[in-house]
Amino acid sequence: MEFKDLDPILHSQLRLAVVSLLISVKESEFTFIKEKTNATAGNLSVQINKLKEAGYIEVIKQFKDNYPQTICKITPVGVAAFEQYVKDLQSYLGVQK
Amino acid sequence: MEKDTPFSHTESLALIQSMINRATNRFNEDGSMYLLWGWVVLLCSLAEFILLRVHYEKHYLVWTITWAVVIYQIFFLRRKRRNQVVRTYTDDIVKYVWITFVIMMFLAGVLIGAIQGMDYYKLIDPLFLVIYGMPTFLSGIILRFKPLMWGGIGCWLLSVLCTVIPVEFHLLLVSAAMIIAWIIPGYLLRLKFKQSNP
Repeated sequence: MEFKDLDPILHSQLRLAVVSLLISVKESEFTFIKEKTNATAGNLSVQINKLKEAGYIEVIKQFKDNYPQTICKITPVGVAAFEQYVKDLQSYLGVQK
Repeated sequence: MEKDTPFSHTESLALIQSMINRATNRFNEDGSMYLLWGWVVLLCSLAEFILLRVHYEKHYLVWTITWAVVIYQIFFLRRKRRNQVVRTYTDDIVKYVWITFVIMMFLAGVLIGAIQGMDYYKLIDPLFLVIYGMPTFLSGIILRFKPLMWGGIGCWLLSVLCTVIPVEFHLLLVSAAMIIAWIIPGYLLRLKFKQSNP
């Protein structure tokens, strides 16, 4: 059986963590993602931008009580990519058994 | 999770699982709306029951206090929503269940008034008990919180009791429904919320 290469955008610890978090909620603030992933704001921003450029997530910037607020949501493209990633992972691990 | 280091397939699967758990194992419901409405409706139904006993003509006026509670609730929910850092699908489904409930209550009230006229009191409490059961039971299922499920079932059982209890005591069944469906589960929700968000 041939192995498919895992999606390089998702096969990165922080990006995968962000997408896994967003797949289970409707939308989340940047601060919540930062807290749950224990990442630094700088690194998280860079990874979120990469996910956004790939079309996997949607980033909404707005103001809440005069403070900037960043909200992230997974897109249908992101959901499909995540499902494919899990499938590829499963087929790989299934062969390993 | 600082560096973008390579990681194995097994680690990858474990990471997905742990992140999904972190996102979904939150308990957002602190029971405040159940307690607020439970106490308001309990006090209003008891007050109206007493006013009817003393033959006060405008007994129904006690319910006007609910409008003040609705206004307070709108501000409360707006503030709560602003302070929320994450919105789960569960939050959204529960919200729509309660919106459906409000619409059903409103329509049932209008229809009973229009069709039954002055005889509205015969149907209003049994029907409202049936409707109270719906969002309570569903919220119990969605939040996986048994006291609410039992509360919903309790409302339905009380609605059946209306067939054997004289109509002048139906308001007391509404009071009982508030205790078992909203007040007791409300305090238990508050306890669970405090335990899961210390």
